[in-house]
Amino acid sequence: MAFRDGTQTAAMRPATTAAPIAFLDVSKRYPGRAEAAVRDLSFEVPSGEICVLIGPSGCGKTTALKMVNRLIPMTGGDITIDGRSVNATGISQLRRGIGYVFQQIGLFPHMTVEDNIGTVPRLLGWSRARIHERVLELLQLVGLGSEDNLRRYPGEFSGGQQQRIGVARAMAVDPPIMLMDEPFGAIDPITRDRLQDDFLRLHREVRKTIIFVTHDIDEAIKMGDRIAIMRNGRLVQIDTPDHLLAAPADEFVADFVGADRGLKRLRVWTLSDLELDPYSGDTLPSAPAGTSLRDALSLMLTAGATRVAVLGHDGTAMGSVSLQAIAAMLGPEPRAPAP
Amino acid sequence: MSVLAPFGGSPPPSPGPVIPRFGGGSSCVVQNRQFCGAWFVDNFGSRFAPRLVEHIELTAIAVGVGMLIALAAALIAHRQGWFETPFSLLSAFLYTIPSLAFFELMVQVTGINRFTAEIALVSYTLLILFRNTLAGLRAVPPDALEAAQAMGLSRRQMLLRVELPLALPPIMAGLRIATVTTISLATVAAYIGAGGLGEAIFDGIQTGFKTEFIAAGGLAIALALVADGLLVAAQRLLTPWARRSRRA
Repeated sequence: MAFRDGTQTAAMRPATTAAPIAFLDVSKRYPGRAEAAVRDLSFEVPSGEICVLIGPSGCGKTTALKMVNRLIPMTGGDITIDGRSVNATGISQLRRGIGYVFQQIGLFPHMTVEDNIGTVPRLLGWSRARIHERVLELLQLVGLGSEDNLRRYPGEFSGGQQQRIGVARAMAVDPPIMLMDEPFGAIDPITRDRLQDDFLRLHREVRKTIIFVTHDIDEAIKMGDRIAIMRNGRLVQIDTPDHLLAAPADEFVADFVGADRGLKRLRVWTLSDLELDPYSGDTLPSAPAGTSLRDALSLMLTAGATRVAVLGHDGTAMGSVSLQAIAAMLGPEPRAPAP
Repeated sequence: MSVLAPFGGSPPPSPGPVIPRFGGGSSCVVQNRQFCGAWFVDNFGSRFAPRLVEHIELTAIAVGVGMLIALAAALIAHRQGWFETPFSLLSAFLYTIPSLAFFELMVQVTGINRFTAEIALVSYTLLILFRNTLAGLRAVPPDALEAAQAMGLSRRQMLLRVELPLALPPIMAGLRIATVTTISLATVAAYIGAGGLGEAIFDGIQTGFKTEFIAAGGLAIALALVADGLLVAAQRLLTPWARRSRRA
């Protein structure tokens, strides 16, 4: 079920593209409503980054997302992709260059998987052979690569598999940017976790510029290079997950990220981000270097230890980390983002 | 009956024994039993086959034209909601007119011919075809439409590639009902000279020769069953996705 390993596909696929997105004083006012849905929203998403929009329901996050591909027209300001206003491009052309993934998935039930994923390529006049090849490649990328799947209909797949097909369809013509509106929101927690992991792995390979809407702060911390918190149509804070957790701009943000933000912050780093103490040979609980600090802390508390041995790839101890070292990571100053 | 000749150009039935008109010497025909199979087989090519072909034509034209009108009306009503009520009322009103009265009424406008019969038959198909087509268009999942829109499909592309294919099951269901009712109703159209199996039925009733109207009636039933079967087969062919779902 895993997305295919990057080293295998890199040679097959043409280099992918990405483009920066900028919101410039963007507003959305619905006629007959006193309050604007989105007010003077300004931020940038650098090329290749995932920017998560988050906030309570009605904060304008989905509206902001849908103004990028003009599913909702903005009433003020401008949005640019690679410096070019979205209003300066024909609407069909604009949308074909933007992958769109949303909670309801929206696969066409009457089309095979191949025809679903091949929809935009067909509109662009690709040859059948080229579409077939591309669809197969995309299915492999999302972990559903088999000739049989091409001829199946969406109704024959589980919800998680359908969203994998939805992601593949959104990437059909290799768009430089993708919009994802609570893409994993309707999927059970275990499958969602796997989809998130697989999607992050995929993103490291293809490096699209992504705007990702969610209402789940844990998902935001996991997926986002940057998190933008919105409230009542305004941007409250935009920061890296670590900055956001270390220094919430105000009480609302502190509240939103949760009282356990310290523990959440520990999820941002792994044991390999710390300087290791030498391993003394004592009996200690042990964990691989890729373990998050949160899990390592949990391990220590469970074992009643104040130190954990860090294992290398070969399973031997490379060193150890103390409880104090972990606690020290939680100072008021934000750290540099984890690589 | 009226001054209209119900049997087109055929000569008025002669009084006396029925046997001479049906040319048979067989005892079954002479005694006018319930159903004379041999006579039916002998006369199928000359008496029934042409009527059957006419009947198929009558039905196909009525359902075809009815579908075109209903589709156009449903598309308008789908975009412009206000259009639904007037068109529904009109088609429901047409549907309530007794068929014989409708035929008789139309004769005064367009005369005794096939065209007149088709006008009435088409009118009767509109209600079911319009309602089912509109229901089908409205039942298209909104998420599929949002996806299509976000992929940059034009209105026309959305209609042809997404909305109409997804509306097909209810449209086909409507076509089946419309076809079967039209086949049945078209027998009455022989009354105004439209031809078809109704002509043989009327003829059989008039002369009292049982085999003729039983055979013609049976053929109309068989035609309805075959047409329905073909439409089911067409639907399966056109909507393979509808039957293949994991979570049926």
